[in-house]
Amino acid sequence: MSGVVVVGLFDGIGKAAAAGNALRALPLDEDRITTLSSVPLPDGSVSRDTRPIRFPRVTLVGWFAGALAGLALALGTYLLYPLITGGKAIVSVPPTLIITYEVAMLGALVGTLIAGFREMGLCRFRTRLIHDPRIQEGKILLCARVSGDEQARRAMDAMKSAGGIDVRPEEGEL
Amino acid sequence: MNGSDHLSRTDPGALYRELSRSNLPATRRWYAVTGLLLLVTLWGVGCFVYMMMTGMGVTGLNRPVMWGALIASFVFWIGLSHSGTLISAILRLTNATWRAPILRGAEAMTVFALMVGGLFPLIHIGRNWRFYYMLPYPNSRQLWPNLRSPLMWDAVAINTYLIGSLTFLYFGMIPDLAIARDHATGWRKKFYTVLALGFRGSHNEWRRYHVASTIFAILIIPVAVSVHSIVGWDFAMAKVPGWHSTIFAPYFVTGAIFSGLAGVVLVMAVLRKVYRLENALTTVQFENLGKLLCTMSLLWGYFYFSEFLTVWYNRNPEEWEVYRSYGGHFLPLWLSMVVCNFVVPFPLLCMRRVRRSIPALCFVSFLVIVGMYAERFLIVVTSLARRNDPFIWHNYFPTWVEFSILAGALAMFLLLYAVFAKLFPIMAVSDIQERLFQATDRVVGGTTVESIARPEASVEGGHG
Repeated sequence: MSGVVVVGLFDGIGKAAAAGNALRALPLDEDRITTLSSVPLPDGSVSRDTRPIRFPRVTLVGWFAGALAGLALALGTYLLYPLITGGKAIVSVPPTLIITYEVAMLGALVGTLIAGFREMGLCRFRTRLIHDPRIQEGKILLCARVSGDEQARRAMDAMKSAGGIDVRPEEGEL
Repeated sequence: MNGSDHLSRTDPGALYRELSRSNLPATRRWYAVTGLLLLVTLWGVGCFVYMMMTGMGVTGLNRPVMWGALIASFVFWIGLSHSGTLISAILRLTNATWRAPILRGAEAMTVFALMVGGLFPLIHIGRNWRFYYMLPYPNSRQLWPNLRSPLMWDAVAINTYLIGSLTFLYFGMIPDLAIARDHATGWRKKFYTVLALGFRGSHNEWRRYHVASTIFAILIIPVAVSVHSIVGWDFAMAKVPGWHSTIFAPYFVTGAIFSGLAGVVLVMAVLRKVYRLENALTTVQFENLGKLLCTMSLLWGYFYFSEFLTVWYNRNPEEWEVYRSYGGHFLPLWLSMVVCNFVVPFPLLCMRRVRRSIPALCFVSFLVIVGMYAERFLIVVTSLARRNDPFIWHNYFPTWVEFSILAGALAMFLLLYAVFAKLFPIMAVSDIQERLFQATDRVVGGTTVESIARPEASVEGGHG
């Protein structure tokens, strides 16, 4: 979702929280307000995360996909080229369980990594993203996606009156 | 440096500068040290090539001792890799407030120890160019790997752990790479920009980052335990006296955590000294690591005694001969193991004075490393040297070729670590910042104590 984003830098979490409340009072929906900060802020302190987090499902899918791959690898290896050893089973259950388990865990780890990157919105190298390196000095960048000039002006006023510095409209994605 | 004796809570820029000293441009001393490490590594590689060209006869291996120092080193390095990611994951999950400064160094130790350890079976196999036989791919000769062999379980488990540990290390480093990107200039800025993958620290990113980190931590713990269990099963599955034991998996896991913790202490002490990280790596971290080391020493002693007791009571002749050799030819090694793993470390680590003294803790950790290597060597070699038939008993001693490869492996580990510390944030800056952000000084009666705010208990819990 691209468009105009009003951003403002804040020295402390108190001022940023006041600005967040002022933006909600405009009114602006919760999902249009977010922060950029060098440390994670408690949910609800300035903005609230409204999108559901779906990691565990993807992890679970990765686990099952890995388990199937591990099972196929073990069984396929036994059956496609049977190593006939006296007194030994061609398809041996305990080793199959071990291989299945290890590949399942690998699937879960890789699934979590891919889902993590996707849900965090990483790897968007071609997209212009809102960012201000001054957050690394301890400042908080409050961002509000607005629609129309009037809402942009009111959002900027709200941020400025709450103590925001360098309040400005920016083009880019959150 | 801000000149204070604690980390800056109010100036993130100063905090970053203090914690990222390892990323400063390389000095002549750094080049000299890494150059020396590179030379030793190359010497080890050269000796490996010599062994490959000449044959395994240049090693001390001979019937019946066909597994020697190379396999003992494999077990040792995989064990050393154990604690880094495992400890980091456990401390993340339990929200231990002292964890932040040791996370990155410990996780990096796991990755590099695994890389080095994983090379040993490949070095040991003799016809090294045929290592690809272990890869499961269909080919013209249909030479598929034998997954019934514990050695193949190892290959699968170690690769899973290596990929998992790399993932855990990299994912945990993303916020720090973003911080480094925003501070860096020149080629480093481009380097960190690519590696940070566009992480900006938005509220949504942080929330998902924490959930993913927790899931990684949950997943990596059973993987870590399974890896060393499987290394234990490499031995326990064989009907060799001294190996064929049901206790081997937990015994190996315990030993691995024990040696890994000692490795973490040594690595942290070196990082603290070299990069002047005294404000981040305080006695709190070392004392807590010392407590864990003390617990593991006790656990190791318990497992070893359990193992010994059953053999001693049973007096199965084949197994008893292995144990008898501990009092004969292998006595120095056995004494090194018991003294360095239990007799000296346990009572010393019970003393708070020792746990709070970094040199003393390093000394104990070094002893543990020596003791655990002796244990690995004893397990691998003694059981084969005193295997069933007394007419083929044979004592083993590594040759200069094996010693050179072992030295090359150690140098390679240190070299990888030195290069990593130069290029990447060796301290988990964002974790430390987060901890400092959550901490406030609170006056309680006549004293001031640090109070930590836990956001997930009050706010996040309500939103699941």
